[in-house]
Amino acid sequence: MGLRKYLEILKIFIKTQLAWRGDSVIQILFSLTKILFASLLWGTIFAGRDEVAGFTLSSMMSYYIISSFLTQLDMSSKVSMEISQRIRNGTFSKYMVLPVNIQGYFVAMEMGMVLFHLIIYFITSVIWIFVFRIKFVFTPDPAIVAGIGILILLGLFFMAQLNYYLGLLTLKYEEIGLFLMIKDNLVAFVTGSIIPLTLLPEHFLWIMKAFPFYYVTYLPSMLLIGRLKGELGMGLLALSCWCVVLQAVIHVTWQNYRIKYDGVGI
Amino acid sequence: MRGRIKRNLRMVRVLINLRLQNLMMFRLGFFGPFFVDSCVFLVQLCVFEVIYSNVDRIGTWGKGQMILYIGTFSMINAINMVIYFFGINGIPDKIKNGDMDLYLTKPGSPLLRLTFERINPGSVPLLFLSGVIISYGIKEGGIKITPILVLGYVFWVAVMAVLYYLVEVLIRSFTFFILTSGNTIILEEAGLTLCMQLPGIVFYGVYKVIFYVILPYGIMATIPVQFLTGELTLSGALWGILVAAAFTILTAFVWKQGIRHYNSASS
Repeated sequence: MGLRKYLEILKIFIKTQLAWRGDSVIQILFSLTKILFASLLWGTIFAGRDEVAGFTLSSMMSYYIISSFLTQLDMSSKVSMEISQRIRNGTFSKYMVLPVNIQGYFVAMEMGMVLFHLIIYFITSVIWIFVFRIKFVFTPDPAIVAGIGILILLGLFFMAQLNYYLGLLTLKYEEIGLFLMIKDNLVAFVTGSIIPLTLLPEHFLWIMKAFPFYYVTYLPSMLLIGRLKGELGMGLLALSCWCVVLQAVIHVTWQNYRIKYDGVGI
Repeated sequence: MRGRIKRNLRMVRVLINLRLQNLMMFRLGFFGPFFVDSCVFLVQLCVFEVIYSNVDRIGTWGKGQMILYIGTFSMINAINMVIYFFGINGIPDKIKNGDMDLYLTKPGSPLLRLTFERINPGSVPLLFLSGVIISYGIKEGGIKITPILVLGYVFWVAVMAVLYYLVEVLIRSFTFFILTSGNTIILEEAGLTLCMQLPGIVFYGVYKVIFYVILPYGIMATIPVQFLTGELTLSGALWGILVAAAFTILTAFVWKQGIRHYNSASS
């Protein structure tokens, strides 16, 4: 019964996406920009060499196709923006009176959006492979692919948690819009969606492994092109631990800050 | 002519004073654009630092040239943010909801008023940050600075800042003729995102046509850098001037036609 409520929310958001088709077109355009960036930049670099940091041009372009697809699937930044705006203008009460867990509502919302866009972004990625004539590199091992699927789901859940938590901080700090814009830019870098993290110096890479962002886009993309196979188990464990820790932080934050909400806005 | 220039300069001064008074009342987010944009360019700097730790050249450009490119684009963007972006960006909304009436009935040029009415002093630190990045690029590239080089570089940055402004106005002027210029603004954003990360030297074929002619973001920071590094050819320089002149004529024409086409709260 409990889950059915969230299933309904999920269905509603799948339908809602039909009204916001323009957003998908914009996302597709920006994914084209990303692939074009990779194609022009790495095409120029590989003109004078066969390999950079263990990548061939084919594996590099495959990395960008996959990481761009995964980055598009993560739509959780809308969660933090929505919560932040609602708290600021005093309409967050809309979520407080619903007979569901608020975080559960936002997770179901994101799942609805992801499910709707999954096919569209997948087809777009396939089109880019043909348009840019990429010799697509992909791991043939079904067991690894299944493990990566779990890792991707954990990554999406972690990002939803993170953005929900950041949105809640508006209860205390009132204006976090600026921070959210800066966050998006930094997250793009540390998740490896601008360049593969393996290009970073070794000691930086070790530091990155201690943080969850390494496992959200970079590791699944590398695994899917058949590299870093030995890190899958570690990735699943590390990301699960981060999800548990962040859930505890969310619980404490909500308990402490919800009483600060007065419903009148700023 | 002299009287007109004097009158326009007085108007610009009044608009800047009004804007500063307005900013004093609404201090929230004063340095917001600085933090957001500086983060974008610093991340980009990190990205190319990382790439150059693995390769020695991208095309014909070494690390110094690329840092100069990032600094130059940052400088052009900073000029845009400080002086005209926030005024120009509101043009589509003003056309759509009929607020343009107010600008047409007031004395002075509507475009001049729109250009200078929302200057943003909060972005001034971006100019300094860009200067630091450019200095780093000059040091890294081992470029020997002479007064001629500095003057030429400043000239090209100024020309390209004007070109940037013209493209912004042109794109937003389409709202006079179509219901929404949203799609063209998205194209602008996509083109800018790409060209902020990639110098013009990597474009070829159809990409060169797009980013050298139609949306000339590909030449905006490339030409000043090529001048500073002694790579700018005569044809390259002529092309830069030609594009800036062509966009001046085109933007002036589209703007004037747009004003004629404007029939108040038409949308």
